[in-house]
Amino acid sequence: MSKVIVVTSGKGGVGKTTSSAAIGAGLATRGHKTVVIDFDVGLRNLDMIMGCERRVVFDFINVIQGDAKLKQALIKDRRLENLYVLPTSQTRDKDALTKEGVKAVLDELRQEFDYIVCDSPAGIERGAHLAMYYADEAVVVTNPEVSSVRDSDRVLGLLNSKTALAEKGDGSAVKAQLLLTRFDQNRSASGEMMSVEDVLEILAIPLLGIIPESTSVLKASNEGTPVSLDDKSPAGRAYLDAVGRLVGEQIEMRVNPGEQRRGFFQRLLGRTA
Amino acid sequence: MQSGKSAAQTVATVKPLQIRGRSFTAIALHLGGRPDRAFFEALEARLNQTPLFFDNAPLVIDLEQAEGLDSAQALMHLAAELRRRKLSVFGIQGGTAAQARAAAEAGLISLPGGRDAALERVSRQGSRPEPAPAPAPKEPANRMVTQPVRSGQTVFADRGDLVVVGSVSSGAEVIAAGNIHIYGRLRGRALAGVNGDDSARIFCHALDAELLAIAGLYRTSENLGPDTPRQYVQVYLQGEVLRIESLK
Repeated sequence: MSKVIVVTSGKGGVGKTTSSAAIGAGLATRGHKTVVIDFDVGLRNLDMIMGCERRVVFDFINVIQGDAKLKQALIKDRRLENLYVLPTSQTRDKDALTKEGVKAVLDELRQEFDYIVCDSPAGIERGAHLAMYYADEAVVVTNPEVSSVRDSDRVLGLLNSKTALAEKGDGSAVKAQLLLTRFDQNRSASGEMMSVEDVLEILAIPLLGIIPESTSVLKASNEGTPVSLDDKSPAGRAYLDAVGRLVGEQIEMRVNPGEQRRGFFQRLLGRTA
Repeated sequence: MQSGKSAAQTVATVKPLQIRGRSFTAIALHLGGRPDRAFFEALEARLNQTPLFFDNAPLVIDLEQAEGLDSAQALMHLAAELRRRKLSVFGIQGGTAAQARAAAEAGLISLPGGRDAALERVSRQGSRPEPAPAPAPKEPANRMVTQPVRSGQTVFADRGDLVVVGSVSSGAEVIAAGNIHIYGRLRGRALAGVNGDDSARIFCHALDAELLAIAGLYRTSENLGPDTPRQYVQVYLQGEVLRIESLK
């Protein structure tokens, strides 16, 4: 039984693509056959974050328009056996996406993959709408900051009304979970940043994970490595925990997972990355 | 002395009457000449097209093109004929001084010329000769929402109360013809009694609203003031003042 998971947020720059790549890689590490699709037509980023931008020949739009077969457009990851990327077009725009085309591609992918991760563009227009439309589950990426929280709230409203599951009208709904990214424990404690409780109180959805602000995220992006493949980084470990919860495991929520494993000298010398 | 003072206070608070300006929509019936048989036949035909639409509608007779009609008796006869057809005639307009006097004698008031507006429903139905269906009796229909109302969403209970089991986010709107009950935090806008019901109230567990309105009278978060109760509150109209009160 394959699952379509949309990674969405409304607001831009909160970490959708980073999270899509990290979740995709995390699922593949666990042995699930996973594909990550870039819905951000015209602003092709996912393939860079996943480190396969030089291998793109055909893309999602080519497949939708029948110019290429799905097999030709899928790029297999060089590091992980079970991970694939379906890149998008850099030269087209969101109008190239059609409901029927997206459905056909997703239906074909469902035959073969356990998890289909849809990396949504920012905003609530056509690209974002089609990215969420056929989803079974949603990961709502939010920064602990008021405008991001409000935009996530708006997106949750759309998930409850403008998706194929919601339109069935039989009470089924997209299961949405919160992924709080760029979280800084110290700034949150000092009141500079919203607290986890504040965000949860407003959004009222289950918490999937808390990803700490970490320099390793930018480094991993620049290298084209999903951050979850770096299990030395706190952000990478937090993503792996979140992926565990996504597949239904009970994992204790920690703001900096693995911190208790830090040695005496590390604690003495202050924080690492 | 003491009792006199309290009596004066009672008088001041009870208010035996209030005078307000109010505008109504009335139908103007333009006469093309004397109300003869041809006129009544044409009128019958028109009324039959939309039998219920004009029932007991307030109506004024426009006499601008009916100069000869200036006896009280003729006007009384015309008014009686119109009332027999369930038209509630109450005045005239556009008449001469003599016609105004005759109207006063016939128990009709003389109105200064109003403005004609298109009766849209009538003109649309005019092209379709079938009788209009009887308007469904408006029963109150309450609405219940069991999910949080998210930013950008509007929930409207147009014929009754609205109950929200959950919170109303900032940037969301909840609107009801009747009362609004929110079992959660109200951060967005709540508009109760939107059809003019000034007895409507808003209830919520926690108040953090952007805007509160009852029957068109509103307050925004900016002018709520620091002393406003924030937990378990009700909002209601007292005269022209929107009051926010703790339920505890």
